[in-house]
Amino acid sequence: MITNYIKIAWKVLMRHPVYTFITLFGISLTLTVLMVLTSFLDHLIGAHYPETKRDRSLYIERMNAYDSARSSMSSGQMSFRFLNKYTKSLRAPERVSIFSESISSNVYVGDHRIKIGIKFTDAAFWQVAEFNFLEGYPYNAQTIANGNRVAVITDGFKDQYFGRETASVLGKSIEIEGVQYRVIGVVRGSPASRSFTNADVYVPYTAPKSNYQSRDTRGNYTAILLAGNRDDLAALNAEFQVNISRVPLSEINAGFSVGILEVPSETYLNNYLNQITRGGGLTTAFYGAIAFIIFMLMGLPAINLVNLNLSRILERSSEIGVRKAFGAPVRTLLWQFIIENVFITFIGAAIALLFTALIIHAVNTSGWIAYADLAISAPVFLISVFITLLFGLLSGLLPAFRMSKLSIANALKA
Amino acid sequence: MVTHLFKLIWNKKRTHTLLLVEIWASFMVLFGLMVLLIYNLGNYTEPLGFSYDNVWAVNLGNNEDTTGISSKVNRVLQRVKAYPEVESASRMSDNFPFSGYFNGMGVSYNNVTTQVERYVVDDQFAKTLAIPVAAGTWFRNADSIGTYQPLIINRKARERMFGSENPVGKVVSDYEGKKGIWRVIGVVDTFKGRGEFASDKPVMIELLRNSSVYDKTLIIRVKPGTNAQFEARLVHDVVALTNGWSVDVRYLTDSRASLHQQVVVPIVILSIVCGFLLINVALGLFGVLNLSITRRRSEIGLRRAIGATGSGVSTQFVGETWVLATFAILIGLLLAVQFPLLNVFDLQAGVYLTAMGVSVCIIYLIVTLCALFPSRQAALIQPAIALHEE
Amino acid sequence: MIKLTNIEKVYRTSSIETLALNTINLHVAAGEFLSIMGPSGCGKSTLMNLMGLLDTPSKGTVEIAGQLVTQYRDKELAQLRNQQIGFIFQSFHLINDLSVLDNVEIPLLYRKGDPAGASRRAMAKEALEKVGLSNRMSHFPGQLSGGQKQRVAIARAIVGNPAIVLADEPTGNLDSVMGNEIMNILQQLNTDGSTIVMVTHDEAMAKKTHRLVRLFDGSMVGDAVLKSERVNE
Repeated sequence: MITNYIKIAWKVLMRHPVYTFITLFGISLTLTVLMVLTSFLDHLIGAHYPETKRDRSLYIERMNAYDSARSSMSSGQMSFRFLNKYTKSLRAPERVSIFSESISSNVYVGDHRIKIGIKFTDAAFWQVAEFNFLEGYPYNAQTIANGNRVAVITDGFKDQYFGRETASVLGKSIEIEGVQYRVIGVVRGSPASRSFTNADVYVPYTAPKSNYQSRDTRGNYTAILLAGNRDDLAALNAEFQVNISRVPLSEINAGFSVGILEVPSETYLNNYLNQITRGGGLTTAFYGAIAFIIFMLMGLPAINLVNLNLSRILERSSEIGVRKAFGAPVRTLLWQFIIENVFITFIGAAIALLFTALIIHAVNTSGWIAYADLAISAPVFLISVFITLLFGLLSGLLPAFRMSKLSIANALKA
Repeated sequence: MVTHLFKLIWNKKRTHTLLLVEIWASFMVLFGLMVLLIYNLGNYTEPLGFSYDNVWAVNLGNNEDTTGISSKVNRVLQRVKAYPEVESASRMSDNFPFSGYFNGMGVSYNNVTTQVERYVVDDQFAKTLAIPVAAGTWFRNADSIGTYQPLIINRKARERMFGSENPVGKVVSDYEGKKGIWRVIGVVDTFKGRGEFASDKPVMIELLRNSSVYDKTLIIRVKPGTNAQFEARLVHDVVALTNGWSVDVRYLTDSRASLHQQVVVPIVILSIVCGFLLINVALGLFGVLNLSITRRRSEIGLRRAIGATGSGVSTQFVGETWVLATFAILIGLLLAVQFPLLNVFDLQAGVYLTAMGVSVCIIYLIVTLCALFPSRQAALIQPAIALHEE
Repeated sequence: MIKLTNIEKVYRTSSIETLALNTINLHVAAGEFLSIMGPSGCGKSTLMNLMGLLDTPSKGTVEIAGQLVTQYRDKELAQLRNQQIGFIFQSFHLINDLSVLDNVEIPLLYRKGDPAGASRRAMAKEALEKVGLSNRMSHFPGQLSGGQKQRVAIARAIVGNPAIVLADEPTGNLDSVMGNEIMNILQQLNTDGSTIVMVTHDEAMAKKTHRLVRLFDGSMVGDAVLKSERVNE
C-alpha cells in the first residue's frame, strides 16, 4: 500500500517540475541551515575532544567584585595562588586543575617566526582533559615539584617547529623567549573554540614567567573541578561557595572598597552564556532574540510550504472530487497527500544532509577555526530527522484537512 | 489603477498577513545589516591618522620582577634604538594601535566634561608612527617640566571641548582634578588607534614620565624587509637585558587584521541570516502568487474580456505584490525611523536614513523578481477558456 | 455592426481535430436584438467567443463596428473589446473582494485616456441607476442575490457605453421572476440603442428578442425574424 502511494506521489511531483523544485529547494535550504547550526552549537557546547568530561566539570573562571552598593564593579581572572588556596581543601572533587589562559608569544626557528599560545598547567590538567598523546607522556606532580623545564606540544606546532618529516621529537629542545624546554610529549591539538584547553605548548606552572607565585588575587588562571559523576555537581558547587564566603574582602584588590564578592563555579554552558551576556541585563533580550530567530528559521519556511501545498491541492481539486464521487474514503485521500508530503520532505532532508556534510567539511579544512572538528553527530542527525518529519506532517496536514472538507460538487466545479 | 490595486489588497488583508509578516521581518533584518555596513564603511573612509606598515609593538611584562622597572624599560628602549634595522622607536601605554585595549577618562574644560580615549606616549611617538600635526607642536622632551603637563588632542576633541576656539595654550583638567592638569600644545587631525572601523572619537595624548612603571610597550618602526631573524635576535637581547621578563612582539599589520575580523564576522553572520530570510520571502511570494493566480483564473479571464491586455494582467499582479510590499515596508519604516529619532546607539541620522533607503530598494527589487514568473503565467491564461471553466 | 464571413473554427490537439464551426455567415445590424439557440456542443460558445474577439477563426473574417480585426494584435483587440463590447456571463464573474461600485468601474480603468476618478464614479453610478441598484453601491457581491449580481454585471457591461452587448446565458442561473427582470433591462438597453446578442436555452426568453438563430453541429440551421414589436411586461 505504501509503495503504491509513493509511486503516485512521485508521478504527481513530476507533473509540475518547477513547483516541485521550489518546494524541494525551500525544504533543503531550511534543513541545511538547521543542521549546520545544530552542528555548530554541538561543537561549541557539547563534550568533545579533549574536553570530554564537561558534563561533570565545574569551571571557576571569573571573579566579580562589587562595592556594597553595587555601583562599582571589577571583574577578571584570578591568580594561581588565590585559586589554589580556596580549592585545596575541597573534599568533593575527584580532581582539581589550575591552569593559565593561553598566553600569546612567539617562537623563532631559522628565519621563521611562529605565533604560539602557551599554557602553564598543573599535573591534574592532563586528567581533567583527555588529550590523545601521539608521542610521549604528560608531566606529573613530581616533575613539576622538581621545577623541570619540560613541555608538551601539539602536532601542529611540532610540524611547524621541527618540520613535517621528523619522526620522534621526544627529548628535543624548544626555546621560547629565551627559555629552553625539553619536549616530553606530543598531543593532537584542541580546537581553537575550546579556550580552556586550546594552546600550542603546555608547560608546568613552575616554569619561568608563569607568575604563579604572585600574591595578588588577580591573575590569568582558571580552575576546573572534576566531580566523580554528574549528580555530585550540586554538592561540589555548594562546598566551593562555602570556601568563597570565607574570603576576607580586604584582600581583594579592586581599586575600591569591596563589599560583595562573587566567584561562580559553573557548568560549561552557564559559563559560556555568561561570557556572552556579561552578567544579567541582556538575558531576557538575548533569549527573546534567540526565540525570534528560531521562529523565523523554522516558521517562515513552514508557512511557505503550507502555501505551496495549498496551491497544489487546489489545482487537483477536480481530481479529488472525482475520486470522492467514485467512493474513495476521505481517509485514503488524506493519507495519499500526507505520504506525498513526507516523501518530498525526506528527499529534501537527504539533499540537506549532503549539503551539510559538504559545508562542515569545508569549514574543517579551511582553517578558519584551527583543529575544527565539526561533525554530523548522531544527536544532530536524529534531531534533524525529527524536525523533518514534523515539517512534512505540519505542512501537509492543514491543506489536507481543507481538501477533505471540499464537497464533491464544489471540487468538481472548481 | 493604483488606487484600484490598493483597494484589492486592502480588502484581502487577512489572507496576506503571513506574507506581510515575512516581508516585514526581512526588511527589519536587512535594515540592521545595512546600518552595520554603512556605519562601518562610513568609518572606514575616515583616515587612521598614522601609518602602521613595518611597525611592531613589543609588549614587555615584568612578571615577578618588581625592582627598577622604569629604568629597565628605558634601557631596553635604548638598546632597541641602537639597532641598524630600527628606524625609530617609542614607548607608550599598553593600548597600542590595533590592540583592542581601551583606556578612557573624563576631562573637563569650562565645567564641561568630555569622555576621551587616552594614550600615554613619549616624544618619538609621532615620528615612529608618522603622525602629522595639524596645529601647534608635538612633544619635546623639555615639555615635561612645568606646572602643566603637555597635551595633544585630536580634531574631534577640539570640536567637543573648544568649539571654534583655538585650543593651543588652554588648560584642561580631569573631572575630579585628581589625575592631573594639562595644557594643550598641539592638535592632530585624527588618531584612530582602534582601527579603521572604529568611529572617530575624542582622543587625548599625554607625554609619559620616564619614571613611569606602567607604559611598558615599545612601538618600533623597522626598515622594510626586516625579517624574523632580526626579531629573534631582538627578543634574545631583551631577555638578556631583563630578568624573567616576558617579551611579546606583535606586527601591527597582524593586529589590525584580527581587529578587522571582529567587525567582519558579525556582518557575515547577519548577511547569511538576511540572505536566508530573503530567500524565504522569495519562495513565499512565489507560492502565494501562484496560489492566488490559480484561484483567480476567472477574474483574469474577465479582465481580459473587458479590455485588459496580456501585459496589463501581468503588470496588475506585479503591482499587487508591490502594494503588499509597500504595506510591509511602511510598518517597517515606522519602526526603523525610531532609531534616528531616539538617537539609538549614538549614530548619525544619515546612517539610518541611507540604510532605510537601501533596504527599501532591495526589498522592492526582490519582490519584483519573484512576481515576474507567476505574473507572466497569468498573462498566458486564455480568457475564452478561463471564463467558460466556471 | 457585427459581420462574420465564411467563418470556420477547428480545434486541434495532438491527435484529434474537431470542427467547431463550419462556414458560418452572420450579419448583425446595429440596434438588433439577436438570440442564438442550439443543443450543447453545437458551437454557441465558440461563436460568442469569436464575436467577442476572445478567439480567432481558423478561416474567414470578423468585422466589428466596421473594423476588420484579422490583422489586429492582442493590444488592439483588447482596446476594441473595451470600447465597443460589453460582456454578461451566466456565472456573473464579479470580483468578490471589491464593492459593487468598484466592480462596475473596472472597464473604465482599462480605457485609453483613463477617465479621472471623479468622472469614473459618476459613470458607474449612472450605470447602476439604469439597472436599479443605486442603493447597493457599497455592498459586496457576497451580500447580493443572484438577480442583483447579474444586474451589477449588466451595469459593468454598459458603463462604458459600448455599441454591442454579448450575453452568454444571462438568465441561466436565475429563477423565472429574476430572469424576466433581466430581460426587461436588456430590452430597455436595446431600445436605448445597443446591439445585443444573447445565447440562451430558454425559448420563452428567446421569443422576446427580434431574431433567432439556431445552431446545430457547427452550422447555422435557422435564422428567423420574430415579431418586430416587443412585448413589454
